[in-house]
Order: sequence, then C-alpha cells, then structure tokens
Amino acid sequence: MPSFILKRVKKGCLPLFQCPRISLCSSKLVPNFPDSNQSSKVLESGLSSVLLNSTKNLSGSISTLANSSRFCSQNLQSLHSNPKIGIFAREFGTQAAVEPCTSDGLTVDGIVGSNWTILEEGEGDWKSHAAAIAQSIQVIKKRLQWKKLMVRLDLLSAELNKSDLWNDPVHASKISREHGSLMGKMKEVKQFEQELLDHIDMIKLAKEENDSELESESMEALLRMRRDSKDKELEALLAGEHDSCSCYIEVQAGAGGTESMDWAAMVMQMYKTWAQRRGYRVTIVDEMPGEIAGIKRATIKVDGEYAFGYAKAEIGVHRLVRISPFDSGKRRHTSFAAVAVIPILGDGSTHVQINESDLRIERFRSGGAGGQHANTTDSAVRIVHIPTGITATCQNERSQHQNKASAMAVVQSRLDQLEMARQAQMNAQHTQSLTEISWGNQIRTYVLHPYRMVKDLRTNYEVSDPDSVLEGDLDGFILSYLSTSLDKDEDEQ
Amino acid sequence: MMKLRLCSLHYGVRANIWRRPVSHYCSNSKSIISSSIEVKPKLPLYLRPPSFSTSLSELTKWHKWAKNLASSVGSSFVHLDNGPDSTLLQRELNWLLEDLLEVQHHSQILPLLKSGSNENADVAVALRVPLEDLYCAWRQRIEERRPFQYVVGCEHWRDLVLSVQEGVLIPRPETEIIIDLVEDVALKNNPKLAQGLWADLGTGSGAIAIATAKTLATRAHGRVIATDLSPVAVAVAAFNVQRYGLQDLIEVRKGSWFEPLKDVEGKLAGLLSNPPYIPSGDISGLQAEVGQHEPKLALDGGISGTNDLFHLIDGAASMLRPGGFFAFETNGEKQCKFLVDYIEKNKPDSFCNIKIVPDFAGIQRFVMGFHQ
Repeated sequence: MPSFILKRVKKGCLPLFQCPRISLCSSKLVPNFPDSNQSSKVLESGLSSVLLNSTKNLSGSISTLANSSRFCSQNLQSLHSNPKIGIFAREFGTQAAVEPCTSDGLTVDGIVGSNWTILEEGEGDWKSHAAAIAQSIQVIKKRLQWKKLMVRLDLLSAELNKSDLWNDPVHASKISREHGSLMGKMKEVKQFEQELLDHIDMIKLAKEENDSELESESMEALLRMRRDSKDKELEALLAGEHDSCSCYIEVQAGAGGTESMDWAAMVMQMYKTWAQRRGYRVTIVDEMPGEIAGIKRATIKVDGEYAFGYAKAEIGVHRLVRISPFDSGKRRHTSFAAVAVIPILGDGSTHVQINESDLRIERFRSGGAGGQHANTTDSAVRIVHIPTGITATCQNERSQHQNKASAMAVVQSRLDQLEMARQAQMNAQHTQSLTEISWGNQIRTYVLHPYRMVKDLRTNYEVSDPDSVLEGDLDGFILSYLSTSLDKDEDEQ
Repeated sequence: MMKLRLCSLHYGVRANIWRRPVSHYCSNSKSIISSSIEVKPKLPLYLRPPSFSTSLSELTKWHKWAKNLASSVGSSFVHLDNGPDSTLLQRELNWLLEDLLEVQHHSQILPLLKSGSNENADVAVALRVPLEDLYCAWRQRIEERRPFQYVVGCEHWRDLVLSVQEGVLIPRPETEIIIDLVEDVALKNNPKLAQGLWADLGTGSGAIAIATAKTLATRAHGRVIATDLSPVAVAVAAFNVQRYGLQDLIEVRKGSWFEPLKDVEGKLAGLLSNPPYIPSGDISGLQAEVGQHEPKLALDGGISGTNDLFHLIDGAASMLRPGGFFAFETNGEKQCKFLVDYIEKNKPDSFCNIKIVPDFAGIQRFVMGFHQ
C-alpha cells in the first residue's frame, strides 16, 4: 500500500509528502482496501457523499460500495458514523492542506482574516492591495468549487494511475483531458496565490533594507495583480466542463395562443441581440411562426467562446405581465415562454453514436406531387430519433442537404445532452441546469404594467427598465445568477 | 416616380461596364434563349461585384415595400396552384438580401433592415445591382411568379451553389437523394465503381454530374460525362463545372440522351438521370413558377410521362459495364412500378438488385439497380 501512495504522489503531482498528518491518515484508511483500483472507487463515492452532506447521495453510495467491494462496507460504516474520519478523508481528498505562506507564516486566509482596510486602487498601501487580492482569491476558489475540484482531481489522478486505463481509449482520453483542464485551473490559482505571497515577502524585505526601488516595483506588481484578479473572478464563473462551448437556445411559447407566441418572439429577439452584442454569431436553425403573430417555437445557434456558460443561466420559464396589444378590451395578460439551452460539444468531446437505422427523416411541409411538379425554396427537414423520440427541424438553410445536416447537428447535441444528464445523475452531481424545463420552473418575471420591472426570482436581482433588458441587456442577470448559484453550491458542501 | 428619382440618383454609377449584365438581370430573358446560338451564361447575383451604392434609408424603403408585397400574397398562391405563401416569400426576401450585400456587411446591415429603424439612415450600402432593378426583380417574383432561383441566378443544392437561368431546370431538393444513392448504395456495394466513368444524362445545371464527380474524387479517379440537348443547359453546366474547378473530371457534351456517348458504349460504371417525366396533359396545370418559366424540354415526358425513362432503361443495358449502377428519378409510385415491371418482363437478365427508393416526403421517387 505505501507504494500506492508513492505512485500517486509522483503521477498526480500533488504535495502529499508535505503533510505527514495526511499520509498518516491515508495509510490508516487505505490498507483496508483490497487493491488500489478498489480503493479509488471507494474513495470516490465515500468522499463525495461526505462532501455533499446529502443523505440521498450517501445511501446511493452505500449501494455502489456494497457492489464494488466486499471488504469495505464495514469501513464505510465507520467513515460516516465517525465524523473525525470523515474530516480526515476530506483532507486526503483535497491534498491541499499545506497552504502556501510568506516567510513569516502569513496565508491568504490569514490576510482576509486580519481585516485590513481595502482602499481605492490609487490610494492604497500594500496591505490594502494584498487584502483585495486575497479576497479575490477566495472568491475565485469559491467559484471554482475548490474543494470539489480537489476531490475530483484526486479521483482523476487515481484513475490515470490504473494500468488498464488505456484499454478503453475513449474513456482514457476523456479522463486525461478533464484532468489536464482541472490541473490547469488549480495551478493557475495556486500560482496567483504564491505570487501574492512572494510580493508581500519582497515588500517586507524592501522595507527592512530601505530599498525603495524594490518596494515600488513590488507595489506596482501588487496593483497589477489587483486589477487582474477582477478578470479572474469573472473567468472563474465560467469554469464548468462545457461552459466554453457554443450552444443552441430554444424558446417555446406557453399556453395562451397569440399572446404567448408574441412573448416567445420577444424573448427570442432578446437573446439574438444579447448574443450579437457579445460578438457571437447567431444563426436561426428552426422557427415555427404563430398564425397571427410571434413564434410557437424557435431554435437559434449561438457560436462563440463561453456562449453556453453564459446562456445556461437563462434556462427556465420567463413570465410577462402587460396590457395585451392583441386584446381589444385592453386587459392585463400574463404570458409564459420556456427557454432551453443545449451545449454543442466540441470535436474533442465524446459524442453519442447515432445509428442511421434509428432515424426517420421527413420533408417537413410536403404536399402535392413534388419533384419536377414543384418549384419551392422550402426544403425543411424533420429528423426523428426513434428510440428517444427526440426530433429536430431545420428550414432556414437554402438546400435540403444542409437543412438535414443542421437538424442532424441539433439531434446530436440533444442526444449528447441526454447522455450528459444521465451521467451526471450517476455521478450524483447536480443536474438541475440540465433537466427538462417544466412550466412551474419560473425564473424571471417581466412586468410592463401596472409598474415596470424585471426581476429574477432566483437571485432577486431586479431592473426597473424592461426595455433595456428586452433589447438584450442581460449580463447583469446572468452574472448575478452565475455567482449566486456557485456560492450556494459551495455552501451546501 | 420613385423609380425615376432613383435612376437619376445612380446615373453616374450605372454608366460603368456592369451596365449590360445588369439590364439582363432584370429583363425576362425568354427572348435571349431562342435568339442566341452561343449562350453566355449569366452571372448569378451573389457573384457580381458590389459596384452600386445606395443609402440605408433607400434600401430600407425598398425592403419595407418588398415585405408588404410578399405579405399581400397571403396564401392565395397556395390555393391557386400550390405556389409559395408569404412566409416563404419573406424568407426568399431575406436570401435575396444576403445575395445582394457583401458577406462582411451582413451582420451589420441585415439586422438594421429587419428592425426597420431609422438610425444610420445616411450610411452608404454597396449593392450588387442598382436599387431600381431590385424593385423590378421583386415585382417579377411576385407578380409574374418568376422562380426565386432565376431572380437571384442560383440554387443551393446539397453543398453546392449552382448557377441557373431561364432555359435550365432548377435542380429539385428531391434529386439530392440520387447522390446519397451513389454514395450509400453504389460505391458501398462496389467500391471499384469510383474509378470508372459515369454519365449524367439531361444534366441541366450540371447538379448531379458535379456532386457525383466530387464524391468520386474523394475516393478514386472516376470521371463524369454530362450531356444535354439544350445549348443553354450545356453552357450553364459548363460554367458550373468551371466554378468548382472540375473541368478535368467532367466533360459536358451536347446531344440527346445516349447520342453523344457512342464512344463509351458498354464502359459506363454509372448512369444517372433526372429526365423529363411529367405527363404532357399535366403541363398546363403546373404551378406558375414551373409551367410558365421552366423549360418544357426538361419537364414534358410524353403522354404517360415515361417516354424518356423507357429510353434510358433500354440504353442502360448496352451502355453500362457489368456491375454498373443506374438510378433514375421518376414522377412517383406509378412510374416506378411501370419501370420495374418493364425491366422484369423485357430485360430479366440485364439487371439485378432493382429497387424503388422513396424521397423524404415518402413518395416512391427513384428506380435503381445494377447491370448484371
């Protein structure tokens, strides 16, 4: 068993050896397991349940464990009945207990804890800058879900150590890609942290030696870090596995006929302008117009970095209250539109394999004899994936072949999303943002009458100018949702 | 009045060398076809240089007018002869704008036009034809039912953008499936066919020939001969072949069906065709875009519509090499069954694996098979 730990240290690049307490604790745990493969499984479910503090997950993991190892049920009992071991296990998972610090023992948490006054950038002393940066580092860690990230990294490292890993190359490359990406994020933060502490050391040194040049250089560097840290905070909001992907945004009108269809069209317009303002390329994939006004449903493709990361904040039901322009009695109406967002996985990701024989491809609006009898620029195609019932339509391309290709791409993304949701459930990770939208799931209300306001029901973020929001000014809502949802997640751990 | 004002506005610009093709763009060119022996293919709108300029407000004015004209149609054409409704015409209008403006300006100008706002009214917009020709072109689309593809001079077909003009059949979406049959049936069953010589008879715009040559080129060094009786079709097909740089792989020959193919008898690896198959009696009742604008030569298949199809089947037996593949488009279930019966009765030893394949609307559309 000690050799197992050693291997982890080498391959996983994690500073396990720096903390004797942890290796002690893990050697206490690990020898109960039959082999290293088993141990990683056990740790995976055991740890996530400890960390998530969720009884549901806990019971789920018990059954996994019971299946995976006949030796460990006893061990697991002690794992969650004895809080001390639970805490130790957590530390084993994060392997980050050795906090970087300055020569006199000051850590990032220490800086925040000492409550130094944070002044404006221009007038601050080094303590003010350091406090601001340290605070940002805490925010970034929170947003990256630091503890979960460490656990996940640990599990991935264990997985990478398995000798039979490359028997399944698809799985292996997925694991190593995720490992690489998480390592990158982790290292970046650690480096930033270390940089801060180094500069503090430098300033202290400069003060001691009366080296004013060194002192001002380090002050400059701190100021630069302080400015960078704000960007890094934003970046950290979009650290999810698929956040950097392009995506589809789909809008569907709720019950209520023309009134709702008009609202759905307004919502779709809001996203089109939002996306264009952000510099994304927007293409209409599918659009089903309402009989009198608006749309029954529509799908647009939003191309660009982090399109999914931002747009996923919009998933749910949007509610409008206004005096209806379609009601001659000028009464107040409430309308609903549902929004779904589907990531378009990059070429590097694993796609669900689709069998040609599982597909039914139909001309969408056909009629008459067709062929040479008809001249039409309408070559809309509908593709049905028979086993799942997933359908996709595209009519906005200029050839049938391309309509088919676009519809096929939508089917692919929907199947990928379905698979992702399935896997997320298996991993007991939260799937909330991926679940199908039910009409009860209202996220935001837009009131045009009797007063004017847009309010997000999840964050209570509100704006008194609905017009600007409907013209695509959504970033305030999106960012506030992303930060609160991440903060909430971290608190739940 | 508006037209006069616009003409004078652009007088200086119009006097340049692009004036001549521009007048062709708007004129209904039936007369040109009959009078000219050597046909010069027309440049589709999207390939023309953006040498005309107008203000955004004038273009917006035209766009509003064109939108109104499109919505005034409602579903009247649908009831009349299964023609386009206003939703479809609106979409065509958007595509016309895409072809009209330079690609790099689409993202700025198209949203402004669609919102109809009065911002940036003075901004100059580069167009590929003068604004007054656009009024004329859209009127022809709606009032004369001139096919959209002739208006913009191109049809998007599979991943190709093919030039088309009066005198050439506009390739149909259904016909795209012939290429799927080549890829998924012919070349899958017999990969050697990819090295052989293929023929597309009655090629029209060259659609089948070009898509086939492209798919052959990804596998081996197959070549294609495309034939057509119509000089306009021959010229347009040759133009499209050149546009895709396939002149080394595709030879366009003028003549009726197998006549220009005497030198390759018994050597063809594949034989493809979308021949005229509409029964003569149905021609007068066709949708206006088809009946009044597309060439009868490419539509009328004789009393039962099967004259040319039978001729093709007869020829296929002697033109194809052993193992060679054929696929023909037909008018539907009835003609497909006729052809299969005919083959089974008269040529039972010539062909094998005869199959009928439906299009995406579920209509039995194609007959295909292999030479024994």
